[in-house]
Order: sequence, then C-alpha cells, then structure tokens
Amino acid sequence: MISLIKYEFIRKYKLVSMILITILALNLLLLTKGAGGSMLFLVVSLSALFVFYLVDIIKMYSDDLNKKTGYMLFMTPNSGYKIIWAKLLAAIIEGAGLVLIYFIFILINGAYIVVSMGDQIDYSQIVRGVNQLLSGTFGFNLGHVLVLLIAVLAFLIAFITTVYTAMTIRKSIFSEIKFGGLFSFIIFLLINWLLSLVTDKFHDIMTPYYDSINAVSNAGNISAGGLALILLPIISVFIIQAIVLTGFSGYLLEKKINL
Amino acid sequence: MSGLIINELTKKYYNKIALRNVSLNFEQGKIYGLLGPNGSGKTTLMKVVAGLHKQTSGHVLINDQVLSYKTKSYVSYMSTENYLYSSFKVVDILKFYKDMYKDFRYDYALNLLNDINVKLDYKVSNLSSGETAKLKTVIALSRDTDIYLLDEPLNGVDVLARDTIMDIIAKSYGENKIIIISTHLVSEIEKVLDTVVFLKEGAVELFFDAEELRQERQMSVEGIYKEVFGND
Repeated sequence: MISLIKYEFIRKYKLVSMILITILALNLLLLTKGAGGSMLFLVVSLSALFVFYLVDIIKMYSDDLNKKTGYMLFMTPNSGYKIIWAKLLAAIIEGAGLVLIYFIFILINGAYIVVSMGDQIDYSQIVRGVNQLLSGTFGFNLGHVLVLLIAVLAFLIAFITTVYTAMTIRKSIFSEIKFGGLFSFIIFLLINWLLSLVTDKFHDIMTPYYDSINAVSNAGNISAGGLALILLPIISVFIIQAIVLTGFSGYLLEKKINL
Repeated sequence: MSGLIINELTKKYYNKIALRNVSLNFEQGKIYGLLGPNGSGKTTLMKVVAGLHKQTSGHVLINDQVLSYKTKSYVSYMSTENYLYSSFKVVDILKFYKDMYKDFRYDYALNLLNDINVKLDYKVSNLSSGETAKLKTVIALSRDTDIYLLDEPLNGVDVLARDTIMDIIAKSYGENKIIIISTHLVSEIEKVLDTVVFLKEGAVELFFDAEELRQERQMSVEGIYKEVFGND
C-alpha cells in the first residue's frame, strides 16, 4: 500500500511543483499591487488550487485506466481493492497538503495586508484572537471549525469515490463503449441520482432525530457538540457512501477490468 | 502441478470474438512461440493471462491457481505497447519494479542494461524505439518468476538490437520457467523455440513441437507458417 501511494506522488511531484512555483510567482507579482493584490491572490489561488486538485486526482486515475501506462500499475500483484484504497488515500493526503500550503499563503498575505495598511503586526493580538476563538467568544470555537472540516472532508471523499466508481464502471462493465469520458460522466450523474434517492429516504427516516436536535439547538447558541450532532447523519452517509463505492470499485478492478 | 493451463478460453468484445475456446497447456522448461497474423488473438491471450483483460468464459490456471492478483506474481508480461512511465528515468523504472515485485533482480537488471548500453539517467520519453524495446525486455526478464510473456519483443527494433534482445531471452531460459513469445517475425525467433502455437482468428490452428515438425515436414517453422497463413 505504501509503495502504491509513494508512486502516486513520484509520478505527479513535477506537475505539483510547477503549479506551486507558478502560484508563488503569481503571489510575488500581486504583492507588488498592495493589499488589494494580496486579497485578489487569495481568491484566485484558492480557485486555481481547487480546480487543479480535482483535475489532477481525476486525471491520474483516468490515465491509469485508459492509457497503456496503466499496465505498470495493474500488472503488479496488488488487489483491485488495495489499488483503489491507495488512490483514495493519496488523494486525501494531496488535498490535505494543498490546504496546508494555502493556509501558509493566507498567513503570509494576511500579514502583508496588515503591514501595507500601515498597521504593525501585533503578535499579542494574534495570540489573543486565537484564544478568543478557542474560548468561543465569537460564538464559535476550534471545535466548530474541526466539525466543519470533518464534514467537508467526508463530502470530498464521497465525491472522489463517486467519480472513481463512475470511471471504473465505464472501464469494466462498459469497457467497449466509445466516448468514454462522456459515458463516465453520464454514469457519474446516474450514481448521484441513485444516491440522492437513498439519501432522501435516509433523511426521512431520520426526521425524529432532526426534530430532537432542533429542540436542543433552538434553546441558545449551538455548541460544537450540537453542530456535530446535526451534521452526524450526513457525515455518516458520506462515509458509508465512500466505503461502499470504494469496495464496489475494488471488486470491479479485481474481477471485471479490461484495460 | 506447476505451469500454465488454459481451458476453453473465450474472449468476446461487443462486435467481435478475440479468442474462441482456446485450450493450451504450457510446461516448464520450454520456450513457446505464439504465432499468427495481426488480429489472431495473441495479444488478447497474453493480456488475459497477465490479468489485464478478463475472459468472457473458460478458465486459466497458473501454478494451480485461478487468475487473480496473486497469480500476477508468477507472470512477467512485456506488452508490445509503450507502457513505461514516460516521465521516469530508466533508473526510476528499475526502482519501481524493485518496490513492486519481490522477485525483481535489481543488480541483474543493472548489469544487463550496462551490457547493452542503455544509460540509467536517460528519460524514458527520450529513448529510441530500440532502446525502449531493450529496456522493456530487460525489466520483464529481470524478474525471477515462473512465466514470461513477451508480446512482439522485436517490433520496431533494428537488426543489432534484435540480436541483443534474443540473447537476453536465451539467457533467461531455465528448466522451471515458461517463456512465451508472440511475434510475426517468425524467422527471427524460430531457432530458440521448443514449441509453437499457431493462432488463427482467435482459435488454435496448430500446436506442435518445433523440431519434430521440422523433421516431419522438412520445413522451417516460417515455411509452415506461410503454408498455414499464406492465403489469409
């Protein structure tokens, strides 16, 4: 598994490096435009990194399924399950890495914006701000942020596994059909439609649960725990969806694939 | 029983049948020639055994095990297509094989590449077709495994490189190993073949011991090939 993940990154490190160098160069350029430039950069780089990330993880898997270089991976004595889990883990690690890099850009540009507005960076104020966040003075704390991050992560994993499953179905059950990209997209839409039916049913069943949560949260400010309770069903759905779809993709890779 | 047994293997695509009820038994210690014109099913057969394509019906046993990811550890497949990562250097390809296959002989591969003058720091995308063919042959045969499937190893390769590749193949012969070579360049490889399989339109046309048939018919394998496929 570790070797599989390692080579996912070895294969893409040059491209990722080029993207990061380009973004760094863009940042340096926009820093010369003052605080407005920095704000523009934070918006543009967030969009660019997000689009790059999605395209990259989808293209890597698509190349393995549709190009002859995929033989390198699929000739190895690794099960289809192992391969798809390695792909998913690599995608999560890459996503976490890009979020971390973007966070560093936020810190650098945030400091630059403060300085360029004529203010001094007051480190004690930063520490105070973090403390306030931790103590919930703003109405939310790091617990809230953590719960939301987990929800976003669960959504992202569920989304990636849906895309991977659509591509795997196309390359196994419908391997001879032309216009593969378009067909994969149609399968993706169909899977989402099916999932929405199942999820709607699930939420119907969960109505008493939501009612009880509403009764609690209406009593006052919602705590991080309360937020976790509200998001728990949807996070559970995402996680179950990811496990089922990844297992199904693994089965197809193992038993039905035609490269 | 060790070896490769193919039984009633059929592979269908939507609009054609690539393999029709193919049954073959490959024994250890022999070099097999899988011969036939383009589209006869040679590549499909190899891809099924290598686990890259799934058969429609029939079964394949490798060392008594049905095809699965486990049997891939007994099979070293060299595709005729360019399947190596083009952004990798030659040395990176060797490292990949070392990491992925327990049976990969890294030093053996290094020595072979040194002998045939393929530089380790060359990028795969910059290799000539002859160098790529040599590299593919070296990495496939540097695995110490039971079954080697070489699909058109001489394709697009000049005469000198062909000799080099044939030498590497001959060096890899062992009494516990099965080497299967597909080609339409029959005259180039017939001297190393023990047994020959002729595939025609996805079916086995002939399966014979090369030397016996040569003596029986007083013809080379290439001559028999022309006789069988000449009118196609």
